Amino acid sequence: MATATALSSPRPWRLPGTATQWFTGWFLVAWIGVVVLPLLIISAFSFFSMRQYQIVYDPTLSTWVSLAETGRWVVVLRTIRFAVTVTFLEILVAFPFALWLAKGCRSPAVRACVITLLTIPFFIDASSRIIVWRSILGTNGVINNLLVGSGLVDKPLTWLLYSDFSVSFGMFGSYFPTAVFPIFLTLSLIDDDLVKASSGLGASRLQTLRYIILPLAMPGIVGGVVFTFVPLMAAWIEPQLLGGGQVNLLGQSIQSALTNLNYPIAAALSTVVIGVLVLLLVVLIVSLRGRFSMASLFQSLDR
Amino acid sequence: MTTMDTMETGVSRRSFLKSAAGVSVAFAGSSLGFASLGMAQETVLRAYGVTTAQMDDPSLITKATGVKLEFTPTDADIGVFMRDALANNVGETHDIMIFDGGTQDILGPQGFYAEIDEDNPALDLWERTPDFWKKSDISVYDGKTYGVPILGNCDAFAYFPDAIGANPNGLDEIPYTVLYEDDRTRGRVALDRVFSQSLACMANFLRVNGRMQIEDPANLTPEQAKAVVDYAVERKKAGMFRTLHNSFEEQVQLIQNREVDVLECWEPAVKEAQKTMKEKAPVYAYAVEGGKKWGHGAYIPKQALDRGNGEAIYRVLNYFLGGEFRACQARDRSYAGPNMDLGVEYAEKSGWTPEQIEELRATDKKIERKMSNPNAFWAKPTAPNADVMEQEWQRFLSA
Repeated sequence: MATATALSSPRPWRLPGTATQWFTGWFLVAWIGVVVLPLLIISAFSFFSMRQYQIVYDPTLSTWVSLAETGRWVVVLRTIRFAVTVTFLEILVAFPFALWLAKGCRSPAVRACVITLLTIPFFIDASSRIIVWRSILGTNGVINNLLVGSGLVDKPLTWLLYSDFSVSFGMFGSYFPTAVFPIFLTLSLIDDDLVKASSGLGASRLQTLRYIILPLAMPGIVGGVVFTFVPLMAAWIEPQLLGGGQVNLLGQSIQSALTNLNYPIAAALSTVVIGVLVLLLVVLIVSLRGRFSMASLFQSLDR
Repeated sequence: MTTMDTMETGVSRRSFLKSAAGVSVAFAGSSLGFASLGMAQETVLRAYGVTTAQMDDPSLITKATGVKLEFTPTDADIGVFMRDALANNVGETHDIMIFDGGTQDILGPQGFYAEIDEDNPALDLWERTPDFWKKSDISVYDGKTYGVPILGNCDAFAYFPDAIGANPNGLDEIPYTVLYEDDRTRGRVALDRVFSQSLACMANFLRVNGRMQIEDPANLTPEQAKAVVDYAVERKKAGMFRTLHNSFEEQVQLIQNREVDVLECWEPAVKEAQKTMKEKAPVYAYAVEGGKKWGHGAYIPKQALDRGNGEAIYRVLNYFLGGEFRACQARDRSYAGPNMDLGVEYAEKSGWTPEQIEELRATDKKIERKMSNPNAFWAKPTAPNADVMEQEWQRFLSA
């Protein structure tokens, strides 16, 4: 009877008992206030409309309908395609690079030097860093001059700039460090004795890589994917400067709407970005369920 | 004791306070006098507007008007400007707003801009200012004058004469086909990414050549916008356009790298390129189809008058109509504006070189020729159908 009463009556509210509970509570409140609430407000704006640069607060679905009619949905698909492709290429190159840096490179000085070189581009404004490539990839740029001058091609290659290639290339350079560093950190934490033991027990290099290193590096790989994919979905500078209007991605579409003070469209597009990210994150978690826990992304903090 | 001291010094408390008060008043008065003298010499006003309206040497304004004009720059982004005007109430902090003509269509009737007092004694150049400027879309909306026109131009495109076999003297009228349809420039054309420029000029091209029935290229109806964008997409797929630029710096870079042969751009980009490319720089076109006429207006936020800054504001507005501003803008940016004759007069009196003076005259003639082209149309940054045009333009960008 007492149990039944306890089950039917609401659990009495109690103050958090430990510092961790207090911190978690405050963090959640702050997170909801700073992250969730603004996102909800942004989404709400997508259900209003604009007239003469002023918002009309009558709920409508016209903004969402126009997303489909004006081809902005194509931009969403294209942005996802770019983000997935570039992230895949990043991880493909970043993993062997990080493996060499963590386990192959025996000189601490060289390692420090490489890490510094990877970090240095972040000290320079992204626009300045990217715009330089125009002079290199353009029809009268360095590469085309070399190619034409050496007789390898008859006329300049126009696809080097203002193309899918140039945008992907720019993105690859910009986000390579964010793919490398998480993988490098987890690989650095793998005990060398484990690798030696694997070898000692007769495993080939490939088997050691597959059964020892890859599973242990998985938190870093997933971290690399997340830290690369998420900003790529909102990438704006690379398509702007290297796409030259031929590669229209979500960031530019949002910018264009904001330029015209069309907040509902910008809000709808932002909502789409967030929706896509949440969806892909769920897919990632579900596909890795049983083999990998997202909490282990931060296991290095426990050591 | 007190009495004796007082007697000894011959000064009572009351007389001391009286004289002290007198001295204080005299001192304060003299301070105020100095202050008011200082104000007469240098009143501080704040302007918010496009950078193109800024003087390279702002001290010239102060010398001429006694007003120190602190400038808060913004770019040509209509959204940012309207947001600051409508939502951020920039009139609370700024005394003059400078932007493309057309903002008065919205901000005037809604009470953000004050009407211009055309009879204000400080605005003595208004009377002689041609109607072409002061009755234009830069200044007037619904019969009321909200802005003082300060400069303008007719935007078209730049081209390298050798690429299209044109006369390098730049005096020929060049058709917009070199941007949209000429096989000699296929894949070597850059358009402006901003729809109010590119889409409107493309619509004007189709209108002038009788291919579409369009009343106002700067304010397309949904059907017209769709038809023009269909044409734009078709040309894009035909490989006509190399790139779409987004800023002045990009325009200059495209010219200097000779990435394209024809470029929809601002005239100052050619001027900038001439500094390094000299005679190899492209020519800014006299277009057969005219181009997009635009102008910057200076507007007064209502709150500025409530703050009692009216007299100083009108002094600055009058300066914008005068010779010094006109001459400097023409020299530094190739922009003209109302009362260009005063600019020439100023240059002659100020000892400018004959070449500089001749260039001012040439700028005046050039602008007059471009502005008087009957095919040219006025820009409309706050076009009622801007939303529709922007939406359709996305189809072009996405194609």
